[in-house]
Amino acid sequence: MTRSLLAIRHMSIDDIGTLLDLAADFKRKVATGEPLPQLTGKSLGLMFFEDSTRTRVSFEQAASHLGLRTANFAASSSSMNKGETLKDTILTLRYEGLNGLVIRHRESGSPILAAKFFGGPVINAGDGAHEHPTQALGDAMTILERKGRLSGLKVAIVGDVEHSRVARSNYWLLSKAGAEVRFVGPRTLLPESTSHLRAMAYNDLLSGLDGVDVVMALRLQKERMTGGLLSSTQEYAKLYQVGKEAMRYAKSDVLVMHPGPLNRGIELDDFAADGDASAITTQVQNGVFARMAALYWAFRADEGAKVKVAEAAS
Amino acid sequence: MTILLKNGRILDPSTGRDETGSVVIKDDQIAAVGENAACENPDEVYDCTGYWICPGLVDPHVHLREPGEEHKETIVSGTQAAAAGGFTNVCCMPNTKPALDNPALIDFLLDRAASPEAGGVFVAPVGALTKGMGGQHLTDLAALKRAGIVAASDEGFPIQNARVMKQAMEFCFQLDLPIMAHCEDQSLAEGGCMNEGGVSALLGLRGIPRTAEEIAVMRSCLLSLNTGCRVHIMRVSTWGSVEIIRLMKSLGAPITCEISPMHFSFTEEAVGEFDTRFKVSPPLRTQADIDLLLQALSDGTIDCIASDHSPHAAHEVDVPFASAPFGASTLEAVVGAALTHLTHTGVLTPLQTIDKLSSTPAEILHLDAGTLAVGETPVAQATVIDPNFEWTFDRRKMSSKSRNTPFDGCAFRGKALLTFCGGEIYRDADFPEEERYKSAEMV
Repeated sequence: MTRSLLAIRHMSIDDIGTLLDLAADFKRKVATGEPLPQLTGKSLGLMFFEDSTRTRVSFEQAASHLGLRTANFAASSSSMNKGETLKDTILTLRYEGLNGLVIRHRESGSPILAAKFFGGPVINAGDGAHEHPTQALGDAMTILERKGRLSGLKVAIVGDVEHSRVARSNYWLLSKAGAEVRFVGPRTLLPESTSHLRAMAYNDLLSGLDGVDVVMALRLQKERMTGGLLSSTQEYAKLYQVGKEAMRYAKSDVLVMHPGPLNRGIELDDFAADGDASAITTQVQNGVFARMAALYWAFRADEGAKVKVAEAAS
Repeated sequence: MTILLKNGRILDPSTGRDETGSVVIKDDQIAAVGENAACENPDEVYDCTGYWICPGLVDPHVHLREPGEEHKETIVSGTQAAAAGGFTNVCCMPNTKPALDNPALIDFLLDRAASPEAGGVFVAPVGALTKGMGGQHLTDLAALKRAGIVAASDEGFPIQNARVMKQAMEFCFQLDLPIMAHCEDQSLAEGGCMNEGGVSALLGLRGIPRTAEEIAVMRSCLLSLNTGCRVHIMRVSTWGSVEIIRLMKSLGAPITCEISPMHFSFTEEAVGEFDTRFKVSPPLRTQADIDLLLQALSDGTIDCIASDHSPHAAHEVDVPFASAPFGASTLEAVVGAALTHLTHTGVLTPLQTIDKLSSTPAEILHLDAGTLAVGETPVAQATVIDPNFEWTFDRRKMSSKSRNTPFDGCAFRGKALLTFCGGEIYRDADFPEEERYKSAEMV
């Protein structure tokens, strides 16, 4: 039995907890050299319709640790350029015998469509502005390591929230875990309505950072903005850069995070990016473990809520 | 040949008639209507006890997709769907491929609609306002009118330039042609795929702000007031649009408007998990909008109901939400949705419901339809509705070539069972023939 990981929004706090436990356990095992459970004989398609090095490599690493065979599909050489629909592409992969699918796509909702037709576990590696579940899992893992808890923390997500799947997945995971989430950014880059994404919205950075435990700065997505949402990156940096001065408004032990890739000097200054408060490199490391957890959880759904992690390599 | 529709509730908004009685159709004409209507030796008798007998329903807004997109629908299949939905008259939109911007295409359309395989309903063509729907150069509207258009429209390609629209209105005023206006400001709407609000934020989809519609509605109303051209605003979806229309009507603008059953049946929440069946333009809005739209139906601010029948082939809608085309195949669900959500909830009386589905659209477009009065229509047009029939809409039973409908699985109370245009053109499978139909041969 298998299951898909499509959106944090759909998941219970129990499932999230299981995934975080798995990820932490994998991290420990990799560090100590203990054997990892193997998904022997299973193949995983990595379908990346959008450019990505970091996420794809992260998934490849994760798959490799678990003994999964991977097959890579890049957008530029995809049959979809010949006019094939996404549905037909998914069906082709299914009938070619791939056991699992990791999919990143420009359009929100694509993994849900893929899961309808694939017939096996589908992992969402980022769909439009909708969700990036494994990023949020990795980020939660990082916060847990540094803060010891999620519940009760104040987290500010700063930047282009409107277009950010990282913001949405993190909002859901942190809210479900009992943290207070804030969105901070210019009005044009925050969602028009917070009726369904119930975070406090701040247009002023300093008020938004007031007393927060964690700041997540989002990449200014130049390719996703069309026409007039911002006047210039300089103006944005003046108003919303998380830097030494702004960090004074947060708690003294504030954690600074960024999903990468970083536009240095725009979203963060060097102090924020490289100082002791920064967890950026840990985020990258934990991304691999979070993806291992996601793959294992998806392929081994029959093992119930508490997955047996002490499984020797077969 | 004489047909007797016996003992039903006659609802004729054109004369205000609401009484139990019968309708006699003789040699394709309405021969008698009312309590005392009778005839000798009818060839066919339909027992309409408990049913409504209405003027044939009129849909001012359908897309028949031919020429150019016959994989979605053809004139033949679309008119069959119309008959199945209880309609005897549909106005078909010009955004075909090529667009209906020249008289030869109008001739073609009328020809196809009259062919024996077609549904047997009248098709009233709506001509393109601009050549190729390009929004720049006016078409030869006088020639199109001679060919048979009943209105002109920028449907699907809303004219963004106010000067072009003003000049179009000046010509249409002169020709006594109403303009059916697609009210959408594309600088606000472009790239959007659903209502800008809580659900679009949740799903990470680009939204269409309500102002995209309202700004364009206001512009159309002001230009109508200014030029005197009759303007019919298509598909209102927001409370703001309704307020604007109400205000501008009170100032004397010769405007009318319509609502599609999508917009009074569903909110944006129906999109759920990226369900493309609920992707429509304008998009589904909120409950607050529906509440005020229903009020506007009651008080007459919204003049009529239109299906905006927009068929799309299956492979076109099984795609990610943002890429999917807008629109749903709705002709066969209009009556069910209207009776369920408007009549049985008390928003409209039965007579008002039929008015919005028949007499008023006929009046707006100056069609010889929407009435059961003797001698008023070239051919008898009548629809028999069982207002209490409970059924579940099943997309597998549709006559339309395309099954992209949000109404699949919806529970309705009220169904059109018989459609007459001249003679009988449609008999629903749920019409109890055994008990209610007798032909002279059978006796």
